[in-house]
Amino acid sequence: MAALIQTLVFGLLIGGVYALMSTGLTLVFGVMKIVNMAQGAFLILSAYLTYSLWTYAGIDPLIGAFIVAPVMGLLGVILYKGIIERAQRIDAGLAIVATFALALILEAVTALIWGPEPATTTPDYFNQAVHIGSIAIPKAQLYACIFAVVITAGLAFIIKRTWLGHAITAASENPEGARLIGVEPARVGTWIFAISIATTAFGGAALSFLYQFVPDSQDGWIGLTLSVVILGGLGSIPGVVAGGLVLGVAEALTSNYVSVQWSTAVPFILILVVLTVRPQGLFALHSREDVSS
Amino acid sequence: MNIRQRRRLLFAAALSSAVLLAASACSTSAGSASSSANASDSLVVGMSLPLSGAVADVAKAGYQGYQQWAADVNASGGLLGKQVSLDVLDDGFDENAVVANYNKLISQDKVPLLLGTFSSLLNAPASAVAERQNMLYVEPSGGNSDLFTRGFTKLFLAQPATTDALPDRFVQYITALPASERPMTAAYVTQDDPSAAPAVDIFRQKFEALGIRTVYNQTYSPTTATFDPIASAVAQSAPQMIIQGAVTDDGVQFVRSLEKLNYNPKFFFQTQAPADPAFPAAVGGSNSDGIFTAVGWSPNAKYAGNADFVTGYTQKFGEAPSEDAANSYTAGQVLEAAVKAVGSLDQTALANWLHANTVQTIVGPLKWDATGVPDGTLLLGQLQGNVLQITLPEEAATTTTVISPKPAWQQ
Repeated sequence: MAALIQTLVFGLLIGGVYALMSTGLTLVFGVMKIVNMAQGAFLILSAYLTYSLWTYAGIDPLIGAFIVAPVMGLLGVILYKGIIERAQRIDAGLAIVATFALALILEAVTALIWGPEPATTTPDYFNQAVHIGSIAIPKAQLYACIFAVVITAGLAFIIKRTWLGHAITAASENPEGARLIGVEPARVGTWIFAISIATTAFGGAALSFLYQFVPDSQDGWIGLTLSVVILGGLGSIPGVVAGGLVLGVAEALTSNYVSVQWSTAVPFILILVVLTVRPQGLFALHSREDVSS
Repeated sequence: MNIRQRRRLLFAAALSSAVLLAASACSTSAGSASSSANASDSLVVGMSLPLSGAVADVAKAGYQGYQQWAADVNASGGLLGKQVSLDVLDDGFDENAVVANYNKLISQDKVPLLLGTFSSLLNAPASAVAERQNMLYVEPSGGNSDLFTRGFTKLFLAQPATTDALPDRFVQYITALPASERPMTAAYVTQDDPSAAPAVDIFRQKFEALGIRTVYNQTYSPTTATFDPIASAVAQSAPQMIIQGAVTDDGVQFVRSLEKLNYNPKFFFQTQAPADPAFPAAVGGSNSDGIFTAVGWSPNAKYAGNADFVTGYTQKFGEAPSEDAANSYTAGQVLEAAVKAVGSLDQTALANWLHANTVQTIVGPLKWDATGVPDGTLLLGQLQGNVLQITLPEEAATTTTVISPKPAWQQ
């Protein structure tokens, strides 16, 4: 029983980390209908910025995230106004291609700045755990999970309870109607993209002390975050939490009770199952046909 | 969609395609060292390296090792009266790209000499291209013994031994311990890698023959990122010894997971990962102390030219050479020895000479059998005070101290 509980604890904690990494991706899709293929690259860029703050200024990654977030948000504004918005005006599909190109460019830029050597941060808590009986709760994953809860709750609050959130909802559901009440969808898009990219600062901070990373680590993370978002339901913030937790627990259980080798196939098997049984994902209210229309 | 919109769409699509194609082109043709590749006064040596992609950090050191070799050769007068230049292509750690690159080097660039790439994964197809084109192929890595069962006559590994010999020294060390100090149980966990997995399997067979009971034996995918569940399962099986086939960051991630669980095996051996200079810092504090690994080269070894290589490399690149850099340098030395001895670029004559002679290199004297397998053994290294020390064989040892059992993790 202790082994099962330990496995579930690991699964839930890493699931929270997955949710944290994926929040921005689902937000951009939910409002702007853009699959941001550069999400992994933004995560890695954030991780490198956190790493530099930790290495050269001794700033803890958890604190560094709050410094990196506005920088990433500003980068989001620049990239949205300079590239995404222009591409989206021409064709929504082109905006997705533009994010893919951005991912390649960001990977090359991070490689030029930080080089190909693996980087990581090792704050005091990176290898520590809280032990409750025979169960270990790693502090690093725990802190990342707390980040995930705070970020997703904060985003849910903004969407549901603030004027900006109402403007976002209006702009995403009925752009013409939104204009009639003084909400400019393009401006809302800028905000959303900026907030989305800013949240990668927290995912990147967690990544920096949980893993070693190199510029092309973004390839793995875009695959995983897409899996989480598809599982939870494209555009759903509660869905991203559910998707992350389901994925994390499934991976951990597979690793311990089926085969270590099968654990990396779990995301893709789950996606196939969800696409078959519930194509809109676990939490999304609309089907993909609704979304694309 | 009106004509104006259609034109804008076409223009944007063309622009996007151009960006993607440019990015793709960057990942397949570095060409950064080929400035004088076609100069008639130079002897061009062609190679493909994974300068981008998952093992770019390893390849960077490997590339620098090749550059150091070329610089040293040129400083001593070059080869066959010509200065050596390198024609380097980037394969992005892709098997298809490496095949295309070596075909290009041979058929299009018409390089007279080749040197190998990195990893068994890439060297297997690359060496097949070279063999088919009747070109000598000296590889700096690619120690999977399966590579040498294909009947090739122009393939040579520029390391002291293949992965079949990787377990030898550590098994020798454990065997020499008094029975009461030997581990009773062992866990084996390895990346599904053509070099690491077979070596770990040999470890298991040899230790089981020694009476050490296997309590855990799993192979994980190269894309595995989260090691906590694996470490937890290993800890639950309570092995006194852990053998990990670690290739890249998986070595660090697994150690970190064991640290979180505060599980301390008495003996811990990892392939490859502990030789990475970044390993001690990545696992934190002095947590690398006591971890064993097998290496083919030591910066402190007394072999001719080794000290000069370490000094020259450090001065040139501002960092100490890694084993990957040394392996590249060694491959260059092997090629250089053959060309100087034969006095021509006849590929068959070069291969025949290598099959019949011993080459003095910075990893010691190398001699090969008919399949290109070197007849040496690897060194047993152990991290002590965050420095990799050689503990076996005695003649190459850099210390007489062996940390045993492995100290508990610092948290």
